[in-house]
Amino acid sequence: MTSFELVEPRSLEETFALLDRDDPAVRPIAGGTALMLMMKSGLFSPLRLISLRRVEPRLAGIAFADGSVRIGAMTTFAALEHSPEIRRHLPVVTRTMRTLANPRVRNVATVGGNLAHADTHLDLPLVWIALGAQAVVVSPRGERIVAVEDLYRGYYETVLHHDELIAALHVPLRPTWRSVYVKVTTRTAHDWPALGIAVSLARDGSIIRDARIAVGAATKKATRLIQAETVLRGAAIDAAAVDDALLARAGDAAIGEISIEADSRGSASYKQHLLRVYLGRAVRAAAAAEPGA
Amino acid sequence: MSNTRTIRFTLNGAPVKTDVEPHETLVDVLRQRFNIGGVRESCGQGLCGCCTAIVDGIAVSSCLFLAMFADGTAVDTIEHLGSSHRLDPIQEAFIEAGALQCGFCTPGFILMTKQLLDIHPVPSDDDIRHYLAGNLCRCSAYPEILAAVKLAARRRNSAAEPA
Repeated sequence: MTSFELVEPRSLEETFALLDRDDPAVRPIAGGTALMLMMKSGLFSPLRLISLRRVEPRLAGIAFADGSVRIGAMTTFAALEHSPEIRRHLPVVTRTMRTLANPRVRNVATVGGNLAHADTHLDLPLVWIALGAQAVVVSPRGERIVAVEDLYRGYYETVLHHDELIAALHVPLRPTWRSVYVKVTTRTAHDWPALGIAVSLARDGSIIRDARIAVGAATKKATRLIQAETVLRGAAIDAAAVDDALLARAGDAAIGEISIEADSRGSASYKQHLLRVYLGRAVRAAAAAEPGA
Repeated sequence: MSNTRTIRFTLNGAPVKTDVEPHETLVDVLRQRFNIGGVRESCGQGLCGCCTAIVDGIAVSSCLFLAMFADGTAVDTIEHLGSSHRLDPIQEAFIEAGALQCGFCTPGFILMTKQLLDIHPVPSDDDIRHYLAGNLCRCSAYPEILAAVKLAARRRNSAAEPA
């Protein structure tokens, strides 16, 4: 790694004064697990890193209120993983944690850093999109809300300005929805995914009332599958199973609405096949899950 | 302009201080400044567990941890677990079960086992495999490591029972 300046402000105001709207080599750092990899490999050479670990407590903590949960950006994955309230209200998050990195990385990596990193191979942003989560973004100009599905512009790129910070995540609690995350790895179980897919469904008896689907690792950025959701919305499903023809139509819609990218974990055509297969499996698993799962 | 700063922390129970550059990792500082041989950088990506250190009671990959972030914390390494006169029960269990060959990964496995047993005193095979999934043993002593963790759990639990 090349040398840089590391500063540790104690308030948001100090932090804003240190950020630079025009210079991408000036960046906030939270847990740092992802940034360290980029710096070690020479992909990123910062001039200044602004550590958020001493910034006021408003960037941490998990708080439930008014049918939603606010998760501070500096909340570690381990804190989410071991929160009994998260397990009760957002069990898909607890389950997904077990598939992420390893306990040491989860002890350090943060919810906000993970969102800001904008690597399409990250699992959790897909879950947040399926759950309908919104990022609270702060800057010297005030606060704005960005739905997680609108946070990404491209590969490693967010819509955030360099002087903006993710302060928290708001996740609506929808006790009748059922959610599933499927991480598809092609080499070892703990490899980066070749495909990640998150599905959240609301059922009225045998009707899919609403659906939210997000895909990553096969696309430039975490992407919501609007057309596939439309195919599923209003569809009747058998109590025991979801019709093959319906899933095939949803798969066609998904393939048609996104551009699938090859990487070292699979060709585009292979990932297209994975998407068809795992979209079906994820929808079936979500449809069969208990409400609130 | 120098970005060097003095950091102070507690290392294996003793207060220490040293000057570090912002880009220095905790594993490098522990090894180079304090002669701590029990943390080793192997993969350098947080995947293998050889650089495991305990910072304020929490296991971290010290190869992905900036040394400056250790300022004001308590850092413990394998050197703080047991002594050459009296090993920790987990260390004894690893020896008895033959859960090591070259020993390079062993400090990381033992520190992670201690964390696991603090959370799950009676871990299932699945708990053990999951918790140690981020620790790699290139001698592939995995069956013996699984046995060692279970042996250590039994020892700790029987020692904790009232006489």
